[in-house]
Amino acid sequence: MQDQEGHVADAGKETLTSVQTSEIEDWTKYKDDDIMQQQSSIQAEQAVKTQFVGDKEPLSSLEAEYHLGNSILLKKIKVLSEQYAALRRTRGDGNCFFRSFMFGYLELILESQDQSEVHRIKASIEECKKTLQSLGYAEFTFEDFFALFLEQLDSVLQGSEDSISHDELLRRSRDPSISDYVVMFFRFVTSGEIRKRSEFFEPFILGLTNASVEQFCKSSVEPMGEESDHVQIIALSDALGVPIRVVYLDRSSCENNSINVNHHDFVPTSDDMGNSGDPSITLLYRPGHYDILYPN
Amino acid sequence: MLRQASRARLFKEYKEVQREKSADPDIQLVCDDSNIFKWTALIKGPSETPYDGGVFQLAFSVPEQYPLQPPQVRFLTKIFHPNVHFKTGEICLDILKNAWSPAWTLQSVCRAIIALMAHPEADSPLNCDSGNLLRSGDIRGYQSMARMYTRLAAMPKKG
Repeated sequence: MQDQEGHVADAGKETLTSVQTSEIEDWTKYKDDDIMQQQSSIQAEQAVKTQFVGDKEPLSSLEAEYHLGNSILLKKIKVLSEQYAALRRTRGDGNCFFRSFMFGYLELILESQDQSEVHRIKASIEECKKTLQSLGYAEFTFEDFFALFLEQLDSVLQGSEDSISHDELLRRSRDPSISDYVVMFFRFVTSGEIRKRSEFFEPFILGLTNASVEQFCKSSVEPMGEESDHVQIIALSDALGVPIRVVYLDRSSCENNSINVNHHDFVPTSDDMGNSGDPSITLLYRPGHYDILYPN
Repeated sequence: MLRQASRARLFKEYKEVQREKSADPDIQLVCDDSNIFKWTALIKGPSETPYDGGVFQLAFSVPEQYPLQPPQVRFLTKIFHPNVHFKTGEICLDILKNAWSPAWTLQSVCRAIIALMAHPEADSPLNCDSGNLLRSGDIRGYQSMARMYTRLAAMPKKG
């Protein structure tokens, strides 16, 4: 390429900066494929450190993480530990919100064996399918992801030959061929909901980026590894009719030095049954990352 | 498991391509007889561009993680375009990299590449000569180079 040849020609003059120059030269040799390969090797490194979905840990492990850290955070963790017993970490790969929701929800059904909830969410999923169809998505592009989630939903209900244990749910949540497919299912559902109600979501999206609703969905919702924010959480909660509580652990504090841990409940718009109880899925948000929280 | 899933998906795309053969006359997408992970496409250069009248061949190599990961696509036909590497045919297009999602298909990737031919992005050039011409505002220079290579490489020889 031109740049490289230019550098070679100048190499004689630039002996002092030759180290730097050759570094830059090296960079120009990197192709997109190399960059993607490097990206996947970083992901592999990350994978060794944290599973897609970790083991349940007592809340004290959070305290240990910050034991030399910010005092506001430590006080907040104390407050948290009055209400929450444990957390389960997820991998920080940009899919942590969807991955946390996946495990949180399926675990909830596995433990509650709530048939009517499964019945209800299946109807919502059917609606999501229709939404995507009416938006012009070819069915074959999303049906595999839908089918795989429905399969997981059926298998956490006990009493059939496909039923699975908690251990197996954890194993599947760590298996990319299942876990990533379920994450992608949520991404389709979220994107469909945002585009269906684009007038509602447009002001939020304009506040985040300069993109149109469609561009936002194409670039920040549908691709794997794109992080989620309020917009995605509202959309997923609404589309599936599942309330989600997000607890915020950050350094913000009140003026009078009292320490509160803020939370926000995402309550689906369709929730007209007067469900005034707390959402059964609770996520812990630390800037840039979501994990799963377990109440006492 | 992943390989199986991508094979199943590609088979659906294959059937869709057969069914919709006449729907998109600018794209002819063909799967390798013996390997469903290898495809080639012939795309028509869009009208009112220097690629008009040319037919360009693309090579697809589909990874086992497809459709979670994008296909690798490159031009086999030589093309003078800021976002296509002149020697290797590598294409700089966001949906083939980090903006990929399974909502795309091999067919819609071809459409995106045709759109890229009509709307070159001079700010992310793989072909610096071509990018520099556009960035310096030498539209005529860019167009005549691009047209020349279209004639040389992408048009059937006459006589």
